[in-house]
Amino acid sequence: MFISKNNILFKVPVIFMIIFFVLPLSLTVVWSVFERTMFWMEPGFTLFSYENFFFSARLENFVVSMLHSSVSVFCSFLIGFPIAIFIRRRVKKIAQHRVMLLFILPFMVSEIIRIFALRPILSRNGVLNDLLINFGFIDSPISAFVFTPTGVVIGEIVSFLPFMIFSTFLALEAIPNYIFEVCSDLGVNRRKMFADIYLPLAAPGLFAGSVFIFVNGIGIALIPTILGGPGSVNAGLIATQAIIALDFPLAMAVSAIMMCTLMGLLYIGHRLFNLTKLLEPIS
Amino acid sequence: MFETTRRNFLKNSALVAASASLSQSFIADAFAADPLKIWTIGVAKVTKTWEEMGKQAGVPLVYSAKSGSADQAIQKFFVGDGQKLYDAITDNGGGQEDAMSDNKAIVPLDVSKIKNWKNLIPAYNEGNVAANTIRNKKGEIVGVPYISNADSMAYNKTKVGGDIDTWDALFDSQFKGYAAMQNDSGPTLTTTAVYLKESGKQDIVNPSDMSKSEVKGVCEFLINMKKKGQFRTFWDGFGNGVDLLASEEVLVSSCWEPIAVIAAKKGADIHYGTMKEGHQTWNNVWMLTKGGKQRGQEDNFYKLMDLYLSPWFGARTLSGLGFTPQMTGVNEYVDANPKDFDAKKKAGIAKRLKNKAARMAVKGNSWQNLYPKEMRAYQDWWSKVQAA
Repeated sequence: MFISKNNILFKVPVIFMIIFFVLPLSLTVVWSVFERTMFWMEPGFTLFSYENFFFSARLENFVVSMLHSSVSVFCSFLIGFPIAIFIRRRVKKIAQHRVMLLFILPFMVSEIIRIFALRPILSRNGVLNDLLINFGFIDSPISAFVFTPTGVVIGEIVSFLPFMIFSTFLALEAIPNYIFEVCSDLGVNRRKMFADIYLPLAAPGLFAGSVFIFVNGIGIALIPTILGGPGSVNAGLIATQAIIALDFPLAMAVSAIMMCTLMGLLYIGHRLFNLTKLLEPIS
Repeated sequence: MFETTRRNFLKNSALVAASASLSQSFIADAFAADPLKIWTIGVAKVTKTWEEMGKQAGVPLVYSAKSGSADQAIQKFFVGDGQKLYDAITDNGGGQEDAMSDNKAIVPLDVSKIKNWKNLIPAYNEGNVAANTIRNKKGEIVGVPYISNADSMAYNKTKVGGDIDTWDALFDSQFKGYAAMQNDSGPTLTTTAVYLKESGKQDIVNPSDMSKSEVKGVCEFLINMKKKGQFRTFWDGFGNGVDLLASEEVLVSSCWEPIAVIAAKKGADIHYGTMKEGHQTWNNVWMLTKGGKQRGQEDNFYKLMDLYLSPWFGARTLSGLGFTPQMTGVNEYVDANPKDFDAKKKAGIAKRLKNKAARMAVKGNSWQNLYPKEMRAYQDWWSKVQAA
């Protein structure tokens, strides 16, 4: 009886994952090779949608959006990792989680509002340009803050930075205090601490945060729509536009390509850095 | 409480009647006490609430929000549960009514049951320019138009130093970095094609249904402009379009008229011009779904259409949002109702109507076509514009 209950407890999440994860992803791949009809698609086998993706400007758009996302990941690391270290090392233990909660606050506001609210700050007549002009740093407004790739990267950092902070903080939290104390007693300098302690031990968190930011960067259409330049797109927007044009197999192919790309990147990451080891708990 | 009881009673009565092999029409009549379930865009409402719209029409309404994108209706009705959910829907005329009718998502209408049908503007009469936007391929009327427009260019008169009457301005280097177009291949390519054709810069037979080589030419022109830095951005969504003009981030923009109206209300000196080359013209139509007819909602639908073809609606959509009324008698209605339309509003309505008439009369206008024959070329070339 007990064993049977355990089996059910184990099977429920497996069934859930099959129905809501494996099945939709499999269908995405199957539909991507269907024939397009005027308003939907019909069973068949054609690689036309893939050809349409790889031999058109869509591939270029996709690669560019991956590049922007990579820059966002790097910038989020530069900003988020020191914040996580600061909270872990400088903020009192009792207050650490409260400080972390502050980073959740922006998520209480709808994402579209959060992104849109950047426009009056970054625009030509916006707050940032006004400040820079008033303090005498520039003579005329900088138009590159928004409606450019820079705008997209800023939007991605603002939207996803908390994920880098959360995940790296959680990884750092797992490091026992005595490690820092021993380093301090031995007179290890900050650079060495960063390279030999923080970076390798926080690697699982950094990795998780980076994957999350990268995936969202190429998938969420809102940011290039609101902050990008003329025709700025990412993979999510390419798929959305294919659906608007009633090209469902193409939309499915774009999603399948996204999925394969991410799996490919994970595989390369695994081969290079042994991700299994990275994700192992600290002992 | 009474309503629920009455509804249940009617439903139960209908079931009993059905089991007793009474006629189908009795069932339909019995269910007609249910509210009309409508799926439409927010701008179809000219009162504060949908309840008020329903009261004005004498039909209880249950409203569901719909985007302006044509793919939504296709998905909902061709592969989704649209027939079960909605009795009446709105969408673009100019292709969508054919698609919906061909796939039996909507039914032909008996316009003799719409009292205000006689008010409909002559553009929809058989043989006229907009006739096929409300008819299916068999020539049956399947749509009731309620708003239309000729999309033009909004400009900041103070900043650009005067009025604009040509699309040349949108591509003029003096507005480099201050121009915007819509982030949608359909309207943007059609508008650009109208400009290129009418200004003699490219040979195009029909800007609404271009050949592959014509699409290529139009997109190469846009790519060249984009590379020169002409466009600040391509706007997407109503709020986005308004913000760009209101914040003076862009000074010239091809856009929907309500965007210009709202941006002007926010304080910027925004005007909506008449372009001598022409415009993309479009309309939005109400359609009765097959499911709605089966549920006996035909009479409710026709009552609602009476409202949408009344000057009461026309005056309000024109005054509040800037859409073109689809019926005659708007000026007379405004004159007869000074309480609702003071002198300032009245002057605004008269001016807007005059401008609209001027835009609609431009020879180079081209009607919106949701499904051009070379749709794939439109998509592929649009992705090149985006990547440039």
